[in-house]
Amino acid sequence: MTALVAARAPLGRQLRSELRWILRRPRTVIGLASLCLVPILAGVGLWFATDGDGPAGPGLAAIIAGNGLVLPVFTLFLALPLLLPLVGAIWAADGLAGEAQHGTLRGLLLSPVGRIRLLAIKSFGVAIMSLVAVTLIAVVGVITGVVLFGGEGMLTLSGSTLSFGEGLGRIALTIALVTVQVWGVAAIAMAISACTEHPLVVMAATMAGVIVFAVLGLFSALDWLHPYLITSAWEGMIDVMRDPLPTEQLWRGTVVAGCYVLIGLSLAAMRLATKDN
Amino acid sequence: MDRRRVTVVAAAVGVVAGATGLGVLAMPAGAGPAPVLPDVSAEALVESVLNAKPAAFGGSVAVNNDLGIPALAGVPQLSDGASTVRMWSDGTGKVRVQLPGGDSERTFVDDGQTAWLWDSAAQTVVKKPHGSFEEHQPGLGDQQAAPTDPVTVSRQVVAAIQQYSDVTVDGTARVANRPAYELVLTPKPTEKTVLREVRIAVDSELRVPLRMAVLTNGTDAPAVQVGFSELNVGPQDASLFAFAPPAGAKVTEPDVEEPTADDKAAAEKALTEAKPQVIGEGWDVVVAARTPQEALADLAERQEQRAERGPQRGEGGDVDVAGLLKQLGKPVSGTWGSGTLITTRVGGVLVADDGRVVAGAVPEQVLLDAIGQVK
Repeated sequence: MTALVAARAPLGRQLRSELRWILRRPRTVIGLASLCLVPILAGVGLWFATDGDGPAGPGLAAIIAGNGLVLPVFTLFLALPLLLPLVGAIWAADGLAGEAQHGTLRGLLLSPVGRIRLLAIKSFGVAIMSLVAVTLIAVVGVITGVVLFGGEGMLTLSGSTLSFGEGLGRIALTIALVTVQVWGVAAIAMAISACTEHPLVVMAATMAGVIVFAVLGLFSALDWLHPYLITSAWEGMIDVMRDPLPTEQLWRGTVVAGCYVLIGLSLAAMRLATKDN
Repeated sequence: MDRRRVTVVAAAVGVVAGATGLGVLAMPAGAGPAPVLPDVSAEALVESVLNAKPAAFGGSVAVNNDLGIPALAGVPQLSDGASTVRMWSDGTGKVRVQLPGGDSERTFVDDGQTAWLWDSAAQTVVKKPHGSFEEHQPGLGDQQAAPTDPVTVSRQVVAAIQQYSDVTVDGTARVANRPAYELVLTPKPTEKTVLREVRIAVDSELRVPLRMAVLTNGTDAPAVQVGFSELNVGPQDASLFAFAPPAGAKVTEPDVEEPTADDKAAAEKALTEAKPQVIGEGWDVVVAARTPQEALADLAERQEQRAERGPQRGEGGDVDVAGLLKQLGKPVSGTWGSGTLITTRVGGVLVADDGRVVAGAVPEQVLLDAIGQVK
């Protein structure tokens, strides 16, 4: 047993190799490139909308004129209900179910790497890729927003204007908050991924879950259920655009997502530990 | 083999911990144990509230509304359900109030000279001189303004309240993490009101109301509860009380459009003909008025004309009052005539077809009796 531990590859090298493995896939690169189109399309659409009289739309779209730093936040909240859960589910589906489909998971399970460590490495890959996807949307959003709408500062929903630096801070906070929400969905997708060898099943089941949760969130008769739904926490995320920053709903949403991460990864670990080769 | 079992057990614990975490989050925040405070008599508590000095504070007010009235678009704080108001005050008249709603926000800032009202959904700013948004508070405010001894005045107020209500201090509570006394106003048994009691949590140190709940007959849950969920007493950041209209926003100064003498006369005529009168006393008070149909129509017509003259048509240009009433209430009739009755959990409004209106926190029958007395 001790000899086996000594023979383990260093953790850093394993994590690096997992990331290289994901990034070398052509579909990863194509997927990330198409995600960059989302803020550009949203920006151009809003740019045409602000031409007319009055606000460009409801919510954040209303304050976007001359206020380019709002665009990344707007785009992230636009992508959060469907697109970003899909992205998280794709990474998670590739991680375990994809490997199982190609027959490569068997080799990993037989190799002298603990199964918990295997799950940790796979989850790390999913987590980093989700962060990369969210950050990419935000960065392209900042550039598009500043080019199309200009941006000396960031006008908040409360009517006060933050300095450019503070605005970038709010965008960084949005990136962090949205990434944690994607992690919550992706962790559940990891649990499904550990149970099947069809990546499509993982994606379909995750998206179906997200849609069902969103529908359940619409019924006021199910008020008691809403605090348990990760999708209900997403509505309060718009607090990031208020000034002074109200933190209560943001903390609550982050802790809910944290609980989903714990549940998802524990289920995945349970399944992996009992999986026969 | 053993290791695998350990992993499964640890993972099961993880699932349970995650589910428990969600459960804990879903539970409403507990109020904590009631604080121990020195005894105070109800009279002394009311007097100290009436004489309390305004303090600088910042905080959030949670509004829980269960009145049973239809939703008003754009202002969730007045509709049924839970919502939040965030407010700051520096204690000398500078105020900031924010009404977050869905994905928009209204902000009101009074910086001492100018009052600003920002609406994020419409991207508009309304600018008015300091204090003009404040409504004139009748009754209590007038008495306090009179140069008399504040202690005497508050004794009079206490006596007036006690004539119709039992005032008691019902233990203590913790509101927004501050110790508070629970002051309870209960209508005397002879009163016919639909209200069961009004509970006011009074801060033990500052003697300002921290929470107010209105309870009605037959239910445990308050019909309205307004209270601080977060309160920081002390000097607030001065930048909170400053407001600069954002570059893209449309700023309007409604004072520029002074009502003409004709308009004023029409409004006054409507008001004098309406003859507001008060029927009953104490909790059973019913406010009655007569809105002359012609005067109302005349006023509405003038508004409409003005809206057409202006650059923008006013939103309230043509309101179908009768249609709106039919939507909100149910038709009733009696020896006094016929009309529409709108009931909420805290009272009702009865609008007769001939323009008579009565309103009060009383059961339906009292309203029906009152409308017959309207001259």
